[in-house]
Amino acid sequence: MHTMAVIQRSVWALLLWPSLLTVSMPLDCKEEQGSLSGCTSISQEKLLDRVIHHAELIYRVSEESCSLFEEMFLPFPLQLQSSQAGYACITKALPMPSSKSEIQQISDKWLLHSVLMLVQSWIEPLVYLQTTMDRYDHAPDMLLNKTKWVSDKLISLEQGVVVLIKKMLDEGMLATTYSEQGLFQSDVQPEMLESVMRDYTLLSCFKKDAHKMETFLKLLKCRQTDKYNCP
Amino acid sequence: MMKKFREVILLLLLLSFVPHAEGTRYSLPGKPALTRCRSPEKETFTCWWEPGSDGGLPTTYALYYRKENSETVYECPDYHTAGKNSCFFNKNDTSIWVNYNITVVASNALGSTFSDPVDIDVVYIVKPNPPEKVAVTVMEDKGWPFLRVSWEPPHKADTRSGWITLIYELRVKLEGENEWEMHLAGQQKMFNIFSLRSGGRYLVQVRCKPDHGFWSEWSSASHIKVPDYFHRERSVWILITVFFAFIFLIVSWCIHINSHSLKHCILPPVPGPKIRGFDKQLLKNGKSEDIFSALVVSDFPPTSSSNYEDLLVEYLEVYIPEEQELILEESKDLHDGCLKPKGSTFDSDSGRGSCDSHTLLMDKCGEAKDDGRQTDQDGSQTGSEAQRQQAAWEQEALTYAHEDMISPDMSSGRVKTWPSVFSPLPQYSLSPLSQPSSLETAKQHCLSDSLFPPSSLSSYLTQPGQSTKEYVEVHTVNEEDMVLLHPVPVGHSHGKGCLQTHQGEDYSKVNGVDKNNVLLLQREVMEEQVDMCPCENKDANGATESYCTSSAQKSIPCIHTALPVQEEKAVNGYVDTATMFPLPIH
Repeated sequence: MHTMAVIQRSVWALLLWPSLLTVSMPLDCKEEQGSLSGCTSISQEKLLDRVIHHAELIYRVSEESCSLFEEMFLPFPLQLQSSQAGYACITKALPMPSSKSEIQQISDKWLLHSVLMLVQSWIEPLVYLQTTMDRYDHAPDMLLNKTKWVSDKLISLEQGVVVLIKKMLDEGMLATTYSEQGLFQSDVQPEMLESVMRDYTLLSCFKKDAHKMETFLKLLKCRQTDKYNCP
Repeated sequence: MMKKFREVILLLLLLSFVPHAEGTRYSLPGKPALTRCRSPEKETFTCWWEPGSDGGLPTTYALYYRKENSETVYECPDYHTAGKNSCFFNKNDTSIWVNYNITVVASNALGSTFSDPVDIDVVYIVKPNPPEKVAVTVMEDKGWPFLRVSWEPPHKADTRSGWITLIYELRVKLEGENEWEMHLAGQQKMFNIFSLRSGGRYLVQVRCKPDHGFWSEWSSASHIKVPDYFHRERSVWILITVFFAFIFLIVSWCIHINSHSLKHCILPPVPGPKIRGFDKQLLKNGKSEDIFSALVVSDFPPTSSSNYEDLLVEYLEVYIPEEQELILEESKDLHDGCLKPKGSTFDSDSGRGSCDSHTLLMDKCGEAKDDGRQTDQDGSQTGSEAQRQQAAWEQEALTYAHEDMISPDMSSGRVKTWPSVFSPLPQYSLSPLSQPSSLETAKQHCLSDSLFPPSSLSSYLTQPGQSTKEYVEVHTVNEEDMVLLHPVPVGHSHGKGCLQTHQGEDYSKVNGVDKNNVLLLQREVMEEQVDMCPCENKDANGATESYCTSSAQKSIPCIHTALPVQEEKAVNGYVDTATMFPLPIH
């Protein structure tokens, strides 16, 4: 059996050998190529634009979800309390540049890595959020769709940032360490109000971090085009 | 183990045999080609390929892809979702961050053939589905209809979050036409179409395109019918009305400008009377004396015998029965009648000529009538008398002239009588209205006329066929060198109704007027010796005059002595008939 598989694979490898040769030769890359014979790789500027666009969308949708959640679940007095909140954002522990002066001093590499860290740290909580929100009785479909959308797009964003880092910094791929993020475990069903508060905190924190991601990426783009006028 | 080994050996043998086989119908499969790859929403995509010749053997196809900068070769995850010869990449396998390198392999028993590899960037192969729920409605904007087209993006395309940004385009055409009208709508999902044809049926289609990508297919055509509207017709009618009003104004203006000449063309002016050689200004400005003196022509009447031939006009014996006489008295507008022929008296062009004593008599009568009317209130009666008188005179003159013509003995007399007829008349007609002496005489004359009983006159006049004559007697000559005449009854008549004769009056015929305004009288016959005449003698009243007339030229046995003629010496001189030896009767 094993030999058969080996032989099969070797045969296929032999057969596919010419194709591999042709593929490895890079083709000329054209801008806005709609035909089949496109570029071998996407250019760095295009990639960065797409990533920024991605981040913008994520932030916008997260903002909408947050406001929706507020309207639906939170009674008015608690809205004021949430800002003071007993629940801290999960990413508070991450080494993030927080002030403008710090951001100006940070290098491109660090910017990208910060973004990546943010993205990677939020993937699992959002998945968790999906599960908790399904448990609600009268959660509107729109809210659920939005949160699902955000979590999907976040995964895609992570891939994009990884590719970007690889392109810009020539670094290898950094695998997402999901296992490290196992902060949330659905072992005990919390109370309704507590759950709601926690979810709301989660959403609002994510909204802030999404905005941070977008800002970093735009700053990065600004540095790419015009280094001296950027904030 | 052994079986499998044998299979492998066989496979290798088959492979080795393939190149050596020639002329057989089996061959390697033809080279497939990737035709297109499309992504409807930038989250999944599908690739289709075109198979080559199959080489006579059952051929299988496989798609392999590699991600950018990665050596890992993956095979297509889904061959069935998108149909035959296709490969569908779902969400998890689709990445917008990297390019894909895709190859299709066709393989049969003899071998495999690889297609050319193709690089795919998912963002650039997006071709969305056509827009959905295209709705077309007719709306009105101040009476003018327009089409409102609305649609929704394809349900798969995520435009709400902004993942894809679509721009739309729609096209409109009338049913039955070939040309579409294109409209670019941008990112909006609604569009208004104006400038529609009234009552037309339109087709509308919409398509969309992402910012980088391909146009979608056109949506299915929506039919709409525009209702008929009449605003256009109304505006056309308004335009037509204004245009015609303008034309009308122009035409009326032209007519107004040319009104004078048009009036001449349509309503030609009636030519007024004209007197040859007569200055119209005299009528307006001058005194009556001037007017009438202007009317006098020095060379009239023509005395040369050569003109007599011109003057001779053939006569018709006019004979007016009683009814006509009455009508003439009552309704005849003698004034006009007198005026009209007066003008023609000296007009040699008219056929009537100066020989038309009928008209001359009318003039005279008109004047007499006027005199009578103006002077006296009884003038009306006298006027009527004068009319009767005039009618009688007409008849008398005509018959007299007729008699003159037919009597052969009187060649000279005839010639002579012409002027006798004519000469007094114009003089008479020129009697001025303002002369009191003449008025008196006219008055007397008229009165004397009025004394004549009408019945007798009418009875007298009803006798037809009677050749009656009248004579005029010179009554007086006034300062104006005018001879005032009055008719004198002859006294003799053949038939009945001949009335009293006027005794003691002589009469004479005027032979002519010489250049010194002297009347040349001709001693004519007779006084009215009635006894011998078959005239009836009635009424010894001397004041009355009779209109008994008889033909002096006829051989009437009436002879009477010549009675002294009333005579007066005029300023200019006149001929005293009494002094003249009596002419023989003829």
